Amino acid sequence: MYDKMVPFEAEVEWIRRETRDTATYALKISNKDIQKAYKYRPGQFNMLYMPGIGESPISISSSPMDADITHTIRVAGDVTTHISKLNAGDKIYIRGPFGSGWPIEEIEDRDLIIIAGGLGIAPLRSVIRYILSDIRQIKSKQFRASTGSRVILYGAKTPKDIIFRDEFPIYRDAFNIYLTVDKADPEEYWKGELGLITGLFDKISFNPLNAVIFMCGPEAMTHAAIKELISKGVPGEKIFLSMERNMNCGVGICGHCFFGPKFTCKDGPVFRFTDIESFLSIKEL
Amino acid sequence: MKAKIKKEHLSLIFDILKRSHRVIGPRLSENAIVMGEIDFHDIPAGYKDSQCPGFYRLLPGSDQSTKCFGARPSTQQVECSGSSIFSFSNGADSFKRFLNPPSQEIFTFKKSKGETLINSCFKEEMPVAFMAMRACDISALKLYDKIFLEGTVIDAGYKSLRKDLIVIAVNCTHPGDNCFCYSMGTGPEAKNGFDIAITELDDSLLIETETARGTNLLKELPFEEASEEDTNKKLLLISECIKRIKKSVRFDELPMLIYKNLEHPRWANIAQRDLECGNCTQVCPTCFCNSSYDYVQLPGISKKPFEIAGTKIRVWDSCFSRRFARVHGGNFRTSRKAKYRHWMSHKLAYMLDQFGMSGCVGCGRCITWCPAGIDITEELEALRK
Repeated sequence: MYDKMVPFEAEVEWIRRETRDTATYALKISNKDIQKAYKYRPGQFNMLYMPGIGESPISISSSPMDADITHTIRVAGDVTTHISKLNAGDKIYIRGPFGSGWPIEEIEDRDLIIIAGGLGIAPLRSVIRYILSDIRQIKSKQFRASTGSRVILYGAKTPKDIIFRDEFPIYRDAFNIYLTVDKADPEEYWKGELGLITGLFDKISFNPLNAVIFMCGPEAMTHAAIKELISKGVPGEKIFLSMERNMNCGVGICGHCFFGPKFTCKDGPVFRFTDIESFLSIKEL
Repeated sequence: MKAKIKKEHLSLIFDILKRSHRVIGPRLSENAIVMGEIDFHDIPAGYKDSQCPGFYRLLPGSDQSTKCFGARPSTQQVECSGSSIFSFSNGADSFKRFLNPPSQEIFTFKKSKGETLINSCFKEEMPVAFMAMRACDISALKLYDKIFLEGTVIDAGYKSLRKDLIVIAVNCTHPGDNCFCYSMGTGPEAKNGFDIAITELDDSLLIETETARGTNLLKELPFEEASEEDTNKKLLLISECIKRIKKSVRFDELPMLIYKNLEHPRWANIAQRDLECGNCTQVCPTCFCNSSYDYVQLPGISKKPFEIAGTKIRVWDSCFSRRFARVHGGNFRTSRKAKYRHWMSHKLAYMLDQFGMSGCVGCGRCITWCPAGIDITEELEALRK
């Protein structure tokens, strides 16, 4: 095993601009041994490090089946600003993978509803692509045989802020996709919905008792969505959400990412709703 | 193994330990007891301390001129300690800074045109021996083992220091005024987790060993067999000590007392007194939170040209510091109420869930060194109302 406290080098293979402030960076680990040992699950994150600037926890947006490790990053602070200045071929340093990841085993034979808000689609892209590649592979029958329906509900600020827009046609092979935006420019053609993501719940038909929910987005959105889902009869045990805290070490020794008694970095960032239910309503926990 | 040695033979333990270890223990500095590398003569034998919430004064023992350094009166009359060596209780310092240094280098980086070099800073250091470690701090050490050795990664620096650590415990016979270890189930007697435990009897030291290393050390000393009378005397001293402990918490109600009262009005009351200084987190032997920063050198210091070079440094941090829970676009904890609640809940509730051990060991340091005199035992009691 490699040292998870010391960053290792990775090369930026390609960069794809998603929106005006967000881009996807594909990385390839330089060291062959680490490359082999590096295994991750959908929903885990890496600490991306720019020497002299700092580290930032960024979720992995690619599936473990993909050739590259991708991160979809919005410019927010010092580290992400410097990452945005990188070009293909530049070096970046990473530690990881860290965290719990999405519970893939829960999906089997259930209705999967993916709810994403804004950049929250990034960790969920990992699970979406995982399911897609699983379905395409003839050998693996985990999801091919699965009878459950799959839905993606995605909300963004404006149509221009929709991330992975180019990939949605591919996702439609396995998912029904519903989009909503807060505000659409009247001059732009927009045939999706307007308004909150909870407004989409009436459009989809699913069996609440047989559904499993994967959710990531702003806390206001997840709180409203959970409330709505519970009232529709979805059991809390089947709702999973990815939380955001300021992970600093990634391994549970720095204490920055406490969410109540949970380490977001090692117990999360994906939590089962019922495990954190009592803490979600408390402000500034 | 149980045995008895003469008090002056304590110096022999130092001699044996110093062959292979740095001996860390209590010594005097600026009218307080601090931890540092010590020799036998540095032990503040006979000193006592007076502690109240937000108050600490060191009082020389009876063999020296007794005078109170402070202006604020002690709540307790200082009793004559006779020729006792270990009559002092814990100062602000704990052993944590010798295993988890306040600032440690994680790796260095050097970026030049073609390449960037990142090298781990880990290096083996001379092992340490802890002298006169109290039962509360031994409990804190057990918690540290769970954090740094039993988590998702093993902290290399901690592991190398911990591996050859020798613990010489002292069973408390003189509790501090803010101690509440008995109700936390951590003291005053050190039950395990040491190599050698010393109990100071009237004219000798009763030595109990737990490990083979401790037994071997004892065998090098001029010891005599401990009689049943000595063991009974030890039990008597400890039970007397327990009686003199003034503070207590209801440990059996934890962690539910905290979880049920996360929205209790008392938190806002504490926030009015709280100064957000973070003293409690620095003196607490179990507080482990830290932050990592890049310390960047000015280019030109090194002979070889490079664009940027520096060191990744891990420093102690505190959940009371302003940037602690900051993420882009916000901060998860900004109010004093939330910060104090987080600190106290982490000690008394969260750590029980995280590590199966209380994060509070009852040493009372946070009470003594809080400039506002906030008493964790009082605040916990107030949550019950």
